[in-house]
Amino acid sequence: MGISEPLETNNVISGAIEAPRYSCALAGAYSTAVGIFGVVPILHSGAGCGIGQLFGQFYGGGQNAGGPYGGTSTPCSSLVEEHVIFGGEKKLESLIESTVELVNGELFAVISGCVPSLIGDDVGAVIRRYKEKNPEIPIIHVNTSGFAGTSYEGYEYFFDSVIDQLLEEKVPKEKGLVNVFGIVPFQHIFWKGEARTIKTLLEKIGLKANLIVGEFDALENLKKIPAAEYNIVLSSWVGHETAKKLEGKFDTPYISFPGVPIGPKQTSEFLRVIGERLDVSADVIEYLISSEERRAYRFAEYVGDVLLIARPHPYFAVVADSNSAVSITKYLANEMGYLPDIVQITDNPPEEARELINEELTTGLETPAWPEIIYEVDAYRIRENLKDRNFMFLLASSLETFISGPEFNAIHLTVSFPSYDRIILERSYAGFSGGLTLMEDVMSKYAGPL
Amino acid sequence: MSGTELTENELIEERIDLSRNTCPNREQRANGINVWYGKASDLAKEARSGCLRQRERNFQQSSGCVLNFYLSVRIGTIRDAVAIYHAPVGCSSAALGYRELYRHIPVELGRPANFDLHWMTTNLRERDVVYGAGEKLREAIKEAERRYNPKAIFVLTSCTSGIIGEDIEGTVSQVQPEIKATIVPIHCEGSRSRLVQTGYDAFWHAVLKYLVKKPEKKQKDLVNVASMLSYTWQDRLEIKRLLGKVGLRVNFVPEFASVEQFEQLSEAAVTAPLCPTYTDYLARGLKQEYGIPYFLYPSPMGVAHTDEWLREIGRHTGKEREIEALIKEEHEKWLPKLKAIRQEFENFKGNGEKVEVLGALGQGRLLAQVPYFDELGLKSSAAMCQDFDNLILKDLEKLIAQMGDFDILVNTFQAAEQTHITNQRDPDIAMTCPFQGGAFKRDKGVTRVHALRSDAHPWSAQSGYTGAIAFGNFLLQSLKSHSYQRTMKEKTQSTYKDWWYKQPNSLYYLKAEE
Repeated sequence: MGISEPLETNNVISGAIEAPRYSCALAGAYSTAVGIFGVVPILHSGAGCGIGQLFGQFYGGGQNAGGPYGGTSTPCSSLVEEHVIFGGEKKLESLIESTVELVNGELFAVISGCVPSLIGDDVGAVIRRYKEKNPEIPIIHVNTSGFAGTSYEGYEYFFDSVIDQLLEEKVPKEKGLVNVFGIVPFQHIFWKGEARTIKTLLEKIGLKANLIVGEFDALENLKKIPAAEYNIVLSSWVGHETAKKLEGKFDTPYISFPGVPIGPKQTSEFLRVIGERLDVSADVIEYLISSEERRAYRFAEYVGDVLLIARPHPYFAVVADSNSAVSITKYLANEMGYLPDIVQITDNPPEEARELINEELTTGLETPAWPEIIYEVDAYRIRENLKDRNFMFLLASSLETFISGPEFNAIHLTVSFPSYDRIILERSYAGFSGGLTLMEDVMSKYAGPL
Repeated sequence: MSGTELTENELIEERIDLSRNTCPNREQRANGINVWYGKASDLAKEARSGCLRQRERNFQQSSGCVLNFYLSVRIGTIRDAVAIYHAPVGCSSAALGYRELYRHIPVELGRPANFDLHWMTTNLRERDVVYGAGEKLREAIKEAERRYNPKAIFVLTSCTSGIIGEDIEGTVSQVQPEIKATIVPIHCEGSRSRLVQTGYDAFWHAVLKYLVKKPEKKQKDLVNVASMLSYTWQDRLEIKRLLGKVGLRVNFVPEFASVEQFEQLSEAAVTAPLCPTYTDYLARGLKQEYGIPYFLYPSPMGVAHTDEWLREIGRHTGKEREIEALIKEEHEKWLPKLKAIRQEFENFKGNGEKVEVLGALGQGRLLAQVPYFDELGLKSSAAMCQDFDNLILKDLEKLIAQMGDFDILVNTFQAAEQTHITNQRDPDIAMTCPFQGGAFKRDKGVTRVHALRSDAHPWSAQSGYTGAIAFGNFLLQSLKSHSYQRTMKEKTQSTYKDWWYKQPNSLYYLKAEE
């Protein structure tokens, strides 16, 4: 078993990096806002921050257009030199007023970038003044910047602002209501399908799932957050800050999983744990598991020949964010008999999460072949780490699409950010039949007449 | 409106000063603006008399900055180089497609089989903002050299590096002696200018200052062409084909060029445009420093303009006779095809009316496309233009004289304004950059104004003779397909409230003069 020492002992990667697979905190807050249908992001930033993330986050997150509120649709104060000198507060004031007047939306989220942070714009004061004049307009301020962290932190900053500025007082708990966190729009390229699948699963066991991302009725769903009995976090680290804050403010306990469950084994375990915590009748859970499993495994029979004749028990490599890496590796190793060679984690999780991730990727595997686990964000070193190995499959991002064959002689599939070579709309690998979809995608890369 | 007219020297700052770290902004250099709506003739008059002024908007949308409209996606395509973004991690995320951009082009079509592109970010964090990041940049430059041994290392600045007062030139001159690669600092702080075109100039300034070498020999058969990614691989092939027929070679920069190609810019016979406003700074600089002649008008779009473009090149390379023969030969092949397209457009409405097209384009493309539409038998009584400056004033005046007056909306990707004018004008074909929010939701034709990447399909060509025909056919196709945009119009909510479409003014949110 080889677990490499992480490059960094703290959670700040300090040096220069080649092509990291995430954007900045502004981008994460912005992507999250765009991923909740009805939120209107208002960027208080330079004019390029929106369009930059259209290329860097939305196109990167499965070639998705910006839609009604993203990309060039996004209101933006477009700060230049004169604002750097005289401040951008006035510009923001008129931008908020005109946006509310012009744009159809439920919640307005002002997201501030590097320029206002550096010049000391008092954005909070601008918003407070606006709220005093227009108490009926829901508006929040995500006080972030490009240098405040990565996309993943930006996701937390967005919810942090929602909790502080939108969710005022305690509300009575609603029986069976759960919020789900940890799926970051666009960074987790299958976010829409994952959210929908998880929602359906939880509804099938009688719970009311509030996924927030990938759903309409943004304001209603966000306001429901305090009423939840439980928060479910589908990540070993992303969304934990949010869940802890909600625990502190609204006494909502939370439970976390290392990622979105893929295939019957992970999904059954997920449901059983949830059932136990939330007091769902075991009969309901077991009935669902048995009927879904029965179907999923009956269908898995169909890949038997292509799996065993064409490419049986191959070594594989994974390059992905921690959520995707854990779930995909476990599915391939535990349900398909693939052998994990190396797993590179690209989202720079904090130290405390790494222990759990390492455990999932070793003792969590039903195979004696444990992968080498490397935490790496630098595209050059990721590429170097893939050299001279046994893997035949490379489940990674589209950064590897064109180098996989020539350099590693491996069959490649894009499963993680960035995904410029796959359009991802509602597809996902989540849930009982998600594993089947993953098999289809992997095997279609080499399928031919047997 | 005053009756005075500015002289050419007052309209444009002609001199390029390479002793400075960077270019002046387009605002200063050519009185550039990106907000205006009205008759093209009024725009030209205001510009000519020096009254044209930039105005503020009370409502604005993200539209690209000096770094992040063009440079962040493109500099990383330069071969045997490394681009370093001295910025927080988000400023370079648009560059994440770098390994894929050109890989779709088959080697058979002239893509080098072995190439690798590289970029890094100094990943500025709070600590760097407080303590400065010169050391970090130095280390990044060294690391780039260690990893790739490049011929050039581009350093691109950002709002953050600018505002915290990073001494880029100091860092570069300090580290250059230890580095074999030429370090090329580009001052493209997003907040420095309202006009994305300043980014072009900032880039060319750096190229002229650091990369172009004194000519060792004159290459009489070499033509410099500055090509953007909005021109496709097929366009390159077409230009190569045409010039190759008369024994000329093309030096395509900057995209996907090698560092050596930049070094040789000073040895060419002429600098020719694809887009005048994009090429301007480079062309002027090469003329001023090395005496390379240039022309900026016309671009090789449409048959008549391609003819002229070729003739201009012929004049500068002593190939007039060969060019005339080439034009004759090409016409025999393509003119019948052009005629067929024209006829189809003319008969499309069945009542003798012309098909109306509304384009959203850069100012360079405006000059090229409006006459080309006329050639196709289309009518364009209005155009959207990303920005406007005095660099194209003379040519705009020429265009108006030739084509008659038309309306111009000047805005850089302002989706609400573009949606408004599209609705109001209701053209048969609306051409849009693909990222326009809701402008595509309508009952009539919609298509892209250009292919956006290294698209190698002949169907995506737009330059030269093959491009004139391909793009004409492409526009015909767009007239026949409305289901997506019509369905979307019907089934999805508009980003903007109803009152927006009911009031008449696309520039409703223009801020009152103080």
